[in-house]
Amino acid sequence: MRFSEATGRKLVSTTSAETIGKIDGFVVDPQRSAVVAIECKKTDSGDILLWSDIVGFGADAVTVKDAGAITEAPSGIDALLGKDHHLLGKRILSSTGDELGKVDDVEFDPESGVVKALNFAEGQIAGARLIGVGSYAVVVTPG
Amino acid sequence: MSRLLRTSELHKRPVVTMGGEDVAQIKDVVFAAGGGAVGGFTLAGRGLFSGPSDRGLLWGAVAALGSDAVMIDDESVLGSSESVLDASAGSRGSGGDVMGSQALTDSGVDLGKVVDVIIEVQGPRGSPCDVIGYEIEASEALGTKGTRVLIPLPDTLAASGDHLMLPAAAKDFVSQDLAGFGAAVEAFREHLSQGR
Repeated sequence: MRFSEATGRKLVSTTSAETIGKIDGFVVDPQRSAVVAIECKKTDSGDILLWSDIVGFGADAVTVKDAGAITEAPSGIDALLGKDHHLLGKRILSSTGDELGKVDDVEFDPESGVVKALNFAEGQIAGARLIGVGSYAVVVTPG
Repeated sequence: MSRLLRTSELHKRPVVTMGGEDVAQIKDVVFAAGGGAVGGFTLAGRGLFSGPSDRGLLWGAVAALGSDAVMIDDESVLGSSESVLDASAGSRGSGGDVMGSQALTDSGVDLGKVVDVIIEVQGPRGSPCDVIGYEIEASEALGTKGTRVLIPLPDTLAASGDHLMLPAAAKDFVSQDLAGFGAAVEAFREHLSQGR
């Protein structure tokens, strides 16, 4: 699945069957090359949905147990939040200091959250090559 | 893999951590070993919130020097600009002053004025970054007066503020562009070592 197609997908509680939010963005941990949480609109309980609290990542909705699954960012995740750590649209630098292009989209496994690939104009970069994501660039190992 | 580049291209190149943050940009290249190698860089801040401005980066702390960025592990490897300048002075001064000096052969012919320094970056990490040549504005002696040409350096050289002393044979190994220059430098050094 791609970030572009999953963004905006609604979050539904399996307990109350109510829509409790929608996906605004993805929190990626470059060390693990994986999506570790989802950013959503602020509710009473917070604005972060941890990947481990997702019941099902479906084609039409993402299900969670209840509205309480949306929480404040725990420590460890909070350092990965915000625009500085988003991947989409960011320049890609290899660790040798050469620019490869810009991130057009990100492919991930909806089961595990593992980032499978970064898509850019010239093709794809394996998610396992991710080293860091900062305000200036996404850094990857040389191909 | 090695690549050649002009030090003038490095001006303002961003210094980026492996975490993807641009923490500084290159202000000046500081030479070490009597001008024969790059010792490090003095840095300038980037943007509005640019942080302390008198920082420096020793060559040994550079993870990679690429065509778009200078990569470092993290911000903690940055030191003060003085530490870089001091380290350079400890190895017989800065060769950065060669800019504008006259390239003279040991037979006393003026080849032209130095306008840029050519360095060679080669892996693996931690290898020295050698100065391998200069770009000079050619004099009449080269037959291409006024054009910019690349001239190879021997392993060691003598440079004062005014002059840069080159073996007379250097003028036979001049290149017009960086593409063929690596081979010219090798051929030139080969030639010198055979002459001894």
